[in-house]
Amino acid sequence: MTTLEQHHAHDHAAHQAQMAQLWLKTAILIGLGLYFIYNIVTGNLSNYINERFAWLAYVAAGLFLLTGVFNAHRLWENRGHDHDHDHDHEGHNHGTISWGVLAITAIPLVLGTLIPSQPLGAEAVNGGVNTSAYQGAQVTTVSIPPLERNVLDWLRAFNRETDMASFEGQPADVVGFVYREPTFGDDQFMIARFTVSCCVADANAIGVPVQWATTPDLPQGEWMRVTGTFTVGDFRGERLPILQAAAVEVVAQPDHPYLYP
Amino acid sequence: MDHEARKTLRRLIVWVGGVAVAILALFALLTGGDNLGTIINIFSTRFLGIFIEAVPFLLLGTLVSGLIEAFLTADDIAQFVPRNPIAATLVGTFMGFTFPVCECGVVPVVRRLYSKGLPIPVGITFLLAAPVINPIVLASTAAAFGFGTILVARFVITALVAFTVGLVFAIAARPQEVLRARTATFAPVMGGSGEDTPITVMPLLTVKAPRKSLAVGLRDAVNLAGDEFFEMGRYLIIGSLLAAAMQTFVSQEVLSTLGRDPVVSVVAMQIFAFILSVCSTVDSFLALAFAGTFTTGSILAFLTFGPMVDIKSMLMFLGVFKRRIVAYLIALPLLLTLLIGIWINLNLNV
Repeated sequence: MTTLEQHHAHDHAAHQAQMAQLWLKTAILIGLGLYFIYNIVTGNLSNYINERFAWLAYVAAGLFLLTGVFNAHRLWENRGHDHDHDHDHEGHNHGTISWGVLAITAIPLVLGTLIPSQPLGAEAVNGGVNTSAYQGAQVTTVSIPPLERNVLDWLRAFNRETDMASFEGQPADVVGFVYREPTFGDDQFMIARFTVSCCVADANAIGVPVQWATTPDLPQGEWMRVTGTFTVGDFRGERLPILQAAAVEVVAQPDHPYLYP
Repeated sequence: MDHEARKTLRRLIVWVGGVAVAILALFALLTGGDNLGTIINIFSTRFLGIFIEAVPFLLLGTLVSGLIEAFLTADDIAQFVPRNPIAATLVGTFMGFTFPVCECGVVPVVRRLYSKGLPIPVGITFLLAAPVINPIVLASTAAAFGFGTILVARFVITALVAFTVGLVFAIAARPQEVLRARTATFAPVMGGSGEDTPITVMPLLTVKAPRKSLAVGLRDAVNLAGDEFFEMGRYLIIGSLLAAAMQTFVSQEVLSTLGRDPVVSVVAMQIFAFILSVCSTVDSFLALAFAGTFTTGSILAFLTFGPMVDIKSMLMFLGVFKRRIVAYLIALPLLLTLLIGIWINLNLNV
């Protein structure tokens, strides 16, 4: 083989690698676009981010598909062309990147499609469930009727009030997952939720203490609806309103598993 | 970026990825595979949460960068710079609002500007400030932290540090001592290399290049954005993997101990920022993972030092500046943000 031929063979291999990468890039971009659409359509998006930022997923889907389609167009233009042609066009000179980089970029797609999408639950609690909550900018808890308050509303009300006795006898009806620790009393558990301000990176577990005779039978992490009335008592050494449950029933996981402060 | 730098970067990525895999494997052994499924599920949810929230901002950033590359010439940019050095340094601080580039996009722009005789300190200030002081980063920081202390402090500290370092160079440096010979005399730059950098777009910014038609420019911009996503996306993905792993596998007590110390927390977050090399448009979402346990000063050090200096920008600096200058460009922001971070922790109860 002459030097020229060797050079040519080398160029040819490089060109093939470049084309293979372009195929892969196109697949990843369009794949990610479809993954975002899939999340929007199935509602899985609410397992990951605050509803307030759902529009960002539309932006991502649009831009991934746009860049993907343009990449596909590049593939079309390059079909059957000799590599030399590449250098003639300004703006077509896309360099190759390492295969490792492509592999890394494919990770979200792989995890997103292979691992079933689930919201954070009781097992994800790291460092206990809080009984204090962000107050947030717009605190209108007081205007919400007691039976319509969720876990976050109740904790905000507790945190604002200095006289816990004022909650004595108030009725409540809340939904959350069961959270128990060995240190809890035999008849105590927490009805808990994660709050998410932005995305699950800032997820914070909060919960209302509940008194219920057959607590040991409740499976950890199960979604429950608890109805009852508050009495003030001791929970983890803190004076707090404790929900005396009249009924505890299993419910389906809510469409929006997180609460948005 | 020269060949050696690329090799180092590649080794680093393999290394970081290897560590992540090792952590996962270790955890699989520790749990005996008992609730491994649950743990992987939680890890995956955390990782995808950060990725889904952050990646739209990365895409917008790459699109803007592509549009700049496709439609603006360096002459357009140079016209904005006044002659008075202090006024020029100020302009450098806020130039990011007109040219929203992240730390990945800023280096090639600065190199091109230097070749056109941009004053050294203005370029330095722009280089350090632009990755934070621009509309996209404003939006992503606001999305993560809301309009509050963190957002304001991030911008003020960055402006302060960038301006200060710029002034140091205004007093102390002469071009031939600062720039690599190649940059000073300038030859059409193939983005440091044709192979592995996002900078391959630079040849489009030649002086004599005729303006592109709208359609061609838009096509190039979108194609550049697509390519840049692959260049920059890896840092976001590795960063998200590490942040998610930390939240899933490291106990809250350990993090609290590390994160509460007014000095250790700042140093830890600076190291984290340097290693992760995450794009400034999305680093807020990673910082969010630490906001509950780490001091405010350390979060701000992460959000201000990271965009100015990290592994990938350091490698790119080496393509523009002399080694000694690169050392200053790392040391000055490092020390300033360290001091400011510690000062905030000790004096402000936020």
